[in-house]
Amino acid sequence: MTPVERPLSPHLLIYKPQLTSLLSVTHRGTGFALGFGMVPLLWWLVAASWSDGAYALVQSFWSSWFGQFCFFGWAFSLFYHLLNGIRHLSWDAGFGFELKTLYRTGWTVVTASVVLTLAAYIAAYHLRGLL
Amino acid sequence: MSGANVHHWRNQRLSALVLIPLTLWFVASVFAHLGDDRAQFTSWLSQPAPALLMAALVVAATYHFAVGVREVLVDYVQDPRLHRLSKAAVYLGNLALALVALAALAKIWLGA
Repeated sequence: MTPVERPLSPHLLIYKPQLTSLLSVTHRGTGFALGFGMVPLLWWLVAASWSDGAYALVQSFWSSWFGQFCFFGWAFSLFYHLLNGIRHLSWDAGFGFELKTLYRTGWTVVTASVVLTLAAYIAAYHLRGLL
Repeated sequence: MSGANVHHWRNQRLSALVLIPLTLWFVASVFAHLGDDRAQFTSWLSQPAPALLMAALVVAATYHFAVGVREVLVDYVQDPRLHRLSKAAVYLGNLALALVALAALAKIWLGA
C-alpha cells in the first residue's frame, strides 16, 4: 500500500473553465453534498425509532428556513448526481463521447435538474403544506 | 495495485446502478411521508418492503459515497500517511453511519 508513485490530478484552477469540466466538478460536489445529506436521513430514522420528542425535533428542523435551504440543496444535488451519473454510465458503456453530444447531454442534465428541483419545491408546498 | 483500483472502479459503477431505482423509490417515499407523524412513519417503515428498500438504500449509498471519496483522495492527497489515514476514516465513518441506520431500522421493525 504505497500510493506515492501514482500521478496526481493537475490542479483544477490551471484549466480555463468550460461546461464539461464544471459539470465534472459539480458531480463531485453534489456527491459530497449527498454524502453529508446522509446525516439528516440518519437523524430522521434514529429519531423515528427513538421517541415522539426526537421525531418532532426533526420535523421542526425541516420547517425552519435552514432546513428548507438544506432540503432544496439536497434535492438539486440528488437530481443532478442521478442524471449526470446516468450520463457517466453511458460513457462507460461507450456512448455519448462526441463533443456535440457532450454539450447537449450536459445542458440537458443542468436544465432537467433545475426543473426537477423546482417541481420538488412545488410538490412539497402543495402536497404537504410543508413550506 | 492496479487490481484494487479496477475493483473500486467496477464497484462504484455497480453501486451506482443499484442506486438508480432505489433513489427514485426514495424520492417518491420522501414526498409520500413528509407530513407523517411518528406513528404513521414507523408503521410504514416497519412493513417488510419499505424496511428492506431503506436498508438497501443506506448500505448502497454509504458504500457509493465511501468509494467516491476514496477516488477524490487518490486524486489529491499525496502524503502517504495522510492518504492511508483519510481513506480509513472515510470507510470507518461510512460503516458507522450504515450500522446506526440499520440499528434504527431494526428497532422500528421490532416496534419502536
